[in-house]
Amino acid sequence: MATKKVIETKNLSRTFNTGEIEVRALTDIDLVIEEGEFVAIMGASGSGKSTLLHIIGCLDRPTSGEYYLDGIQVNALNKNQLADIRNQKIGFIFQSYNLLSRTTALENVELPLIYDRTGQFSNSMALAKKALEQVGLADRIHHKTNELSGGQQQRVAIARALVNNPALILADEPTGNLDSTTSFEIADLFVQLNNKGKTILMITHEPDIAQFAKRMVYLRDGRVLSDTKIEHRNTKTEALKSLEKPLTTQ
Amino acid sequence: MVRFLKIFKVAFQSIYKNRTRSLLTMLGIIIGVGAVIMTISAGEGATMEVENQISGLGTNLLMIQTKSEHKAGINVRMGRPIDHKDLEVLQKNSVWMPRLSPLLAIGAQAIGPSGYKSTMVYGVSYDYFYITSRELQSGNFFTEEDVRTAKKYCVIGETIREELFPGQDPIGKQIRIDKIPFTVIGLLTEEGTGGMQDMDDIVLAPHTTIQNRLYGHQRGYTMIMASALSEDHISDAKMEATALLRESHQIKAEDEDDFEIMTQVELQEITSNITGILTILLGAVASISLIVGGIGIMNIMLVSVTERTREIGTRLAIGARESDILTQFLIEAVVLSLVGGLLGIVLGVIGNQIIYRLTDFFIPTAFYSIVIGFCFAALVGVTFGYFPAKKAAKLNPIDALRYE
Repeated sequence: MATKKVIETKNLSRTFNTGEIEVRALTDIDLVIEEGEFVAIMGASGSGKSTLLHIIGCLDRPTSGEYYLDGIQVNALNKNQLADIRNQKIGFIFQSYNLLSRTTALENVELPLIYDRTGQFSNSMALAKKALEQVGLADRIHHKTNELSGGQQQRVAIARALVNNPALILADEPTGNLDSTTSFEIADLFVQLNNKGKTILMITHEPDIAQFAKRMVYLRDGRVLSDTKIEHRNTKTEALKSLEKPLTTQ
Repeated sequence: MVRFLKIFKVAFQSIYKNRTRSLLTMLGIIIGVGAVIMTISAGEGATMEVENQISGLGTNLLMIQTKSEHKAGINVRMGRPIDHKDLEVLQKNSVWMPRLSPLLAIGAQAIGPSGYKSTMVYGVSYDYFYITSRELQSGNFFTEEDVRTAKKYCVIGETIREELFPGQDPIGKQIRIDKIPFTVIGLLTEEGTGGMQDMDDIVLAPHTTIQNRLYGHQRGYTMIMASALSEDHISDAKMEATALLRESHQIKAEDEDDFEIMTQVELQEITSNITGILTILLGAVASISLIVGGIGIMNIMLVSVTERTREIGTRLAIGARESDILTQFLIEAVVLSLVGGLLGIVLGVIGNQIIYRLTDFFIPTAFYSIVIGFCFAALVGVTFGYFPAKKAAKLNPIDALRYE
């Protein structure tokens, strides 16, 4: 179904200068992600996952190469323009949720709309409520974040990423701080959102979480090692069933 | 504007959610502003007190003295002393000065039946009581006859009575001033304490007696005191006295006066200058505490920026611009200083009241001290809030997100 390119990178490279040594974090990445895709990025530590995520998330700029996000050439933009792009086009989900403590779920979800400069979101509270309903937290709207469980907190963070209706949802190890059961629930939530048409890019260490996606990109030493369609996608029921098996049979 | 309001709300929430930290941050400003208001008001109170006393001397007062100059820190008399000849000239010829009194001031020990006190003894004439408009609570003034015959009579102030005749009626009793016995014939009505000097720590006696008994070897008077016909005629009186004295002192047209005439108005100006300087000085000292308070705000804001690094990273990641973060932290600092300023004003006003209740020293809370205190608080907020806010805004979102 997808024809519109949400992400397109051409010869994307990123080098870090730490004193005399030049570290090549990313080399010649050509990646295209189309609307409606659910891509998992895997790779060992130091493979360049985080650097790629930062560039795709407009938090960092490539040293060379081109990057188009939703048709906009991002590598030429200044800091303020990048901030606006992040605000309008991207929904961030972090490993450690990064919610404001002592603040209600609703207020946390409203946060991206505070920084909106387009004026398209007139009723931020209604939008935030809707996003919380989408992630199944309709009954926790007025709870403070420190009163919620880890899984619930990550759901609040996902609602926050959804509230501005972004072109791309970027998840950086979203299940890294969660137990297996909750991890599968969150992964399942991503699948549901993807089924509703959301484009999702997820970085993860865990193969069984990555298997929820439609496509897997494997990075090694700053290059794309493999880029494959996932034939047999994991589901919540299957994943939960596998938990019941004794460790030895795995 | 809507965006500004939103960020204002964010800043306000952040202050509210960290109430204890916010209160501690404000403490420096609260104390600083309170101190500024209290010290400036105390200065104003002192000024008012002194001015009241001076105008209590009578608003049409003139004081004629030998010219003196400050030399190496002491007053040195220049020229011819003012003496009885000058007084006679003025008495004979003056139109604008109906009342004239010599004044011979001498520091002496007054000894009574139940105590003694070092005090100022003034030799004056009968007119002195009119010129200074002092009244008696009991007894009588000495008369012109008493002055002419150099009677050893005296009129004393309340402070002297308390020291020398505690709980007694002094009228008709004897006191000794430098071994000379004087009969107390009058007790002055209390004039009040504070300001420059105690107006009730005073012994008045006929100038003739003082001249003969205590002052013998010295020539001239300390000063001549006069009252103009009315307040409007003070400058007329001053010009007249100048002309008469220049003539009698045979001063040539091109030479300067060898005497000084000070009027009530001038005296008031001088003292208000002095108390004005005092007020500024006190205010400056208090301002230092405000600056210290400002540094306190900066400190806590800096700590708070570090503590909230991840929050700032998150905000940047979800689309806050640097200017949004800067605005938020600046608003937090300014709101803290302004609220601190307001609480400081309350503290200052209450403090003034407490001092008034405890010491009876009335401190009018000067309106301008409130304005100064408040503006200073706002200034401190912006100045010391800017640096931490800038630091917060300049954080790299990637590093800020990773910060543990």
